[in-house]
Amino acid sequence: MRFDTLIIGGGLAGLLAGISLQKAGRKTAIVSTGQNSLYFFSGTFESVEEPSERLRELLSECGIRVHYSPGVRFMPLGTFRDSALSLEDISLFPTPEIARKALIVNFAGYLDFFSSFISEGLSRHGASCRMVTLDMPELSRFHQNPDEMRSAQIARALDSNWEKVVKEVCVMLHDEDTVILPQVFGLQDAEIPEKIRRGIPARVIFTGTLPPSVPGIRTQMLLKRRYEVLGGTYLSGDEVVGAHLYEGTVHSVVTRNLEGHYLEAGHFILATGGYFSKGLKSNPFQVYEPLFGLDVDYSEDRNAWYAPSFAADQPYMNYGVKTDEHLHALLQGNPVSNLLVAGSVLGATHPELGSGAGLAIRSAFAAVDQILKASPDQA
Amino acid sequence: MKLQEFTTSSHNFEECMKCTVCTVYCPVLQVNPLYPGPKQAGPDGERLRLKDPYFFNYALKYCMNCKRCEVSCPSGVHVADLIQAARIKYDRSAPKLRDRILASTDFMGSLARPVAPVVNAVTGLGITRAVLDSTLKIDHRRVFPKYSGRSFERWLRRREKQQAAFEEQVAYFHGCYVNYNYPRLGKDLVKVMNALGVGVQLLEREKCCGIALITNGMSAQAAKNAAHNLDSIRKAVTGKGLKVVTTSSTCTLTIREEYPNLLGQDNADVKASILTAARFICEKIEKGATLRFRPDFHKKVAYHTPCHMEKMGWGIFSEKLLRMIPGLELTILDSNCCGIAGTYGFKKENYEYSQAIGEPLFRQIREVNPDSVACDCETCKWQIEMSTGYTVENPISLLAQALEDDEEK
Amino acid sequence: MKTNEFDVIIIGGGITGAGTQRDCAMRGLRTLLIERSDIATGATGRNHGLLHSGARYAVNDPESAEECIKENMILRQIASHCVEETDGLFITLPEDDLGYQKTFVDACRRAGIDAEIIDPDLARRLEPSVNPELIGAVKVPDGSVDPFRLCAANMLDAKLHGGQVRLHTEVTGFIKEGDTIVGVHTRNVQTGEEADYFAPVTVNACGIWGQHIASMAGVRIGMFPAKGALLIFAHRVNNMVINRCRKPSNADILVPGDTVCVIGTTSTRIPFEECDNVSVLPDEVDLLITEGAKLSPSLSSTRILRAYAGVRPLVSADDDPTGRNISRGIVCLDHEVRDGLKGLVTITGGKLMTYRLMAEQATDLVCRKLDIAKACETATTPLPGSEEKSYESVAQKIWESPSTAQKAAAARLGTSASRIRTENRSEDALVCECEEVSLSEIGNALARLEVSTLTDLRRRTRVGMGTCQGGFCACRAAGILGQAHGCIERAREDLADFMQERWKGNFPIGWGDTLREAEYTQWIYKHVLGL
Repeated sequence: MRFDTLIIGGGLAGLLAGISLQKAGRKTAIVSTGQNSLYFFSGTFESVEEPSERLRELLSECGIRVHYSPGVRFMPLGTFRDSALSLEDISLFPTPEIARKALIVNFAGYLDFFSSFISEGLSRHGASCRMVTLDMPELSRFHQNPDEMRSAQIARALDSNWEKVVKEVCVMLHDEDTVILPQVFGLQDAEIPEKIRRGIPARVIFTGTLPPSVPGIRTQMLLKRRYEVLGGTYLSGDEVVGAHLYEGTVHSVVTRNLEGHYLEAGHFILATGGYFSKGLKSNPFQVYEPLFGLDVDYSEDRNAWYAPSFAADQPYMNYGVKTDEHLHALLQGNPVSNLLVAGSVLGATHPELGSGAGLAIRSAFAAVDQILKASPDQA
Repeated sequence: MKLQEFTTSSHNFEECMKCTVCTVYCPVLQVNPLYPGPKQAGPDGERLRLKDPYFFNYALKYCMNCKRCEVSCPSGVHVADLIQAARIKYDRSAPKLRDRILASTDFMGSLARPVAPVVNAVTGLGITRAVLDSTLKIDHRRVFPKYSGRSFERWLRRREKQQAAFEEQVAYFHGCYVNYNYPRLGKDLVKVMNALGVGVQLLEREKCCGIALITNGMSAQAAKNAAHNLDSIRKAVTGKGLKVVTTSSTCTLTIREEYPNLLGQDNADVKASILTAARFICEKIEKGATLRFRPDFHKKVAYHTPCHMEKMGWGIFSEKLLRMIPGLELTILDSNCCGIAGTYGFKKENYEYSQAIGEPLFRQIREVNPDSVACDCETCKWQIEMSTGYTVENPISLLAQALEDDEEK
Repeated sequence: MKTNEFDVIIIGGGITGAGTQRDCAMRGLRTLLIERSDIATGATGRNHGLLHSGARYAVNDPESAEECIKENMILRQIASHCVEETDGLFITLPEDDLGYQKTFVDACRRAGIDAEIIDPDLARRLEPSVNPELIGAVKVPDGSVDPFRLCAANMLDAKLHGGQVRLHTEVTGFIKEGDTIVGVHTRNVQTGEEADYFAPVTVNACGIWGQHIASMAGVRIGMFPAKGALLIFAHRVNNMVINRCRKPSNADILVPGDTVCVIGTTSTRIPFEECDNVSVLPDEVDLLITEGAKLSPSLSSTRILRAYAGVRPLVSADDDPTGRNISRGIVCLDHEVRDGLKGLVTITGGKLMTYRLMAEQATDLVCRKLDIAKACETATTPLPGSEEKSYESVAQKIWESPSTAQKAAAARLGTSASRIRTENRSEDALVCECEEVSLSEIGNALARLEVSTLTDLRRRTRVGMGTCQGGFCACRAAGILGQAHGCIERAREDLADFMQERWKGNFPIGWGDTLREAEYTQWIYKHVLGL
């Protein structure tokens, strides 16, 4: 099969690039090994503040609603972080003094939401908190199986019963001005968090849980749906296992599932992610890029990979594939003319592009621009 | 190899990062509280089972082996394989008579076929179903596939010479369903292949691929079938230089993946030559072959990707095939399991779960309201037809219908 | 009688201290155990967890070998829920001298160890992970023992016999009356609270730190701090202990224990000041992998979970740069006889395997000093949880059809698992999914086993010991602990400490899937949870 551009990696960077290229009339395919880090997305786009018009438009077409205002956001362990561009699920505040009296609601038996940390965190900023648990019959089935009480399962059960949640919360609400709920609403339907907010006569703050992230899953589904509606081919659960290069140009790749079938393209985007997603691999001797054997910026001294402190910035997280200034991958020092690199596989090799989601967005757009510039007349 | 250069075992459960994404996609976990879920049943449980087989949990039988956990896993862990391998290794309970009956698709087929009208009438009777329900725990609400009076093998043998006349040949692994229940699909395949100038021949001898045996705890018998089938496939592939095509996604996955991964049957020498007919046709057309389509064909079709097709990643070929038919209006249904999982849904204890799993898919089909549903799996076909009333057709059959000259009367 | 007066004070919450407290308590003494950190934090929790048959010492240290095999047989009876009866192999590789095998077996037999030469083929069948190139094999009654569980069970039994325990409490000085130690000054390291406790006898059971405690009392003990580094693999590759049949050396023991297996050790003398903060160096990691792969080649491609190191409490003898030749024999010092200091006993040397015997000797001495005639019963009385031998029958009795998590709990808790049975299904929720630890098991540990930090909880339940290394379970457990102790701020710090402690063991082997897991965890804690 032949495509204009083949994108390796179906995470935020890969999907944004795929959508952009499809919109520009290009025929693309995305090869994705299972799900990706959007499943652990906090709902906040790290290192992005006011979105560019391009990003705002793209997200809005997908049905992903975002907002930004300077200040702070509230974290699941009761701490505060600087605010950044966020899904509308995430509340942003000018200061950490976000509530006077707060009702913290959890579901009976749900361990992935940290009421007591939240309570302590809010109290430090002047709130008096009351913690309650809600025992919903819709969730009772999960008590039979201790492994099912996870965010996505709860969301699935409550998305059709959100009105009951509103009713129950209203019954428990005394004179609190703020209600804290776990971020387990709106798996399929992005409207639900807003509907709950409207139904409860207090400010509702959805606070994060342990992964998987419900807003993250929803974001991934919306991006993927948009990509497919635009005619993109999304090969899920597959991985690239081999590549053919001729004279500094990628000709085709082969995937595990489509062994014996070449996927050819004029351009390729490598958006395979960091270590977790296996965009970068490591062994005691090296950190390497496994698909093309691209040049990786890392230290050959294994001891230098880590900071002994868990909380410190870890050098290994900065390692990434080397590129030229236009994000063309470097192979033995030479740029591969039609292979662009996007997302966290870049590590911190381009600090100006930011990190996390910001890096994914900026590098994906830059890669798309390069491709459109290199072959402007294809559409 | 240097020490610690690679740290992945053949069943790679150590690659599990405990991210729980698989549990989001497990259709059983959504409906059955008795099932511990793919992460617990797979990589987590495996660490304990390595300590002591006592930690094996019999609730692993609720796994449908749909492999959606594997498709969703960001780490590429063979979660479903781990679960099925654990069942093979540790489940010491003897399969029930019911499971033996359900699993013996080819044996039952060869018994039932000569008396098909009687069997069909009997299995269709309320009283029979009630008896099956109470004695064998085969759910009475389940509709049985009908048996055909004449086997596909017999039909094709009578056309051996005619097929041999084609210069290019393929061997066809038809599977039990085409042979005993639905020869129509095999005939459609022959028509399409012939239209491409390709003759179809049988394998020397074909047995059930064995998937039902694996899932019903009869892996030793499954391994025998596998060895037998691989022997026949080898004769076709290495002996005659043929590709082996299939029309069932599950048979294909079983032969290509389960034989080596679960049954210890090495197929590396022939694996690349076993293809779904859809992939074979797509690749042939990419290389320049053409088909002539009827100008008056019109059908609204919704394509359901069977779980095992999803796992193989070959749905794109079926989709491409359907898209090349002029007049076919295609909707791709959301990726959901239909709930049948072969013999799983036939069991009384699974019936409710099975229907609950399939409900989102059924709902979407009703919303789309197509002329027919396209799907490459025979058990999905039973389930969707029984649960929605819509007709389900294999993409190959739809292709056959849309072809210019209909020589098959 | 005042609440701060006891018959005996035991300093040190390792296995020797806990065992001594249990023995003293069973003989009717009013006991107090003081530990500056948590139980099993020193050498007790930092070894292979090998239930030695004694074979390893048979040639060079026959006295220790005899002690080992006797205690081995006793622990199988009294600590069955802490012990796995795996048996062990001593293999001879082509590079080893097969002639040593005879010397070895003869020495084993003299020590009373049932050592049987078996055909290499049989060895390969018994333990499929063993290096297939072996040219000789001897089967011995080795096993594995969970030191945390063993220590906790001893402490629990001491408590059940009226003993008191002060963890996270350090001894800041001795209270002397003339030439007699009559008590200790202490300070709680978490709260800063100070307290004095009095007893006619104090037992110094501080392992390598015994030197420091002794000097506080004004007497000198020369310890020989020998660091041993070990690696934990993410799952079991072997189900029998595998040793090399040669003179004891580096990385020649591979022990299966619970869901993992452990290779070790190295042996390096370190300065005494480093005992509190030993770390594993890259050279040690490389050596452990290289040598370990000779025992079981699959180790060369098995994911490593952690690296850790302990300090053996060896008592100095001659000038031996590695400490390999120092006897593992028990040293029980009556400072009244040795140094003219009354009221202080030091029990040291020895090893995890002989803790009970060490406790018995120390308790005998204490009882002689207190004029108590009651005989030791620890060799025949099962520890709490070990009243029944098989966890299968335990689980079956408690739950009609136990789930995997319930079976795992029965294997960890023995008969005490009956305490975590609950009708409230939400109490069965798993906090730690890798090791399958439920909410009610954590509740049990909080209620009975003196837990104040997450790390304490880990030692008692295995929470955070699995492949995610706390990524998921630690914050769940932190919330539970914080609520139980009513201090969330402390719980958050505790969580950070716990993740730091996990990372310390991860980064020396941070590559492959371990690095993937680390990246994931660090990302989640930083960006998603906001630690």
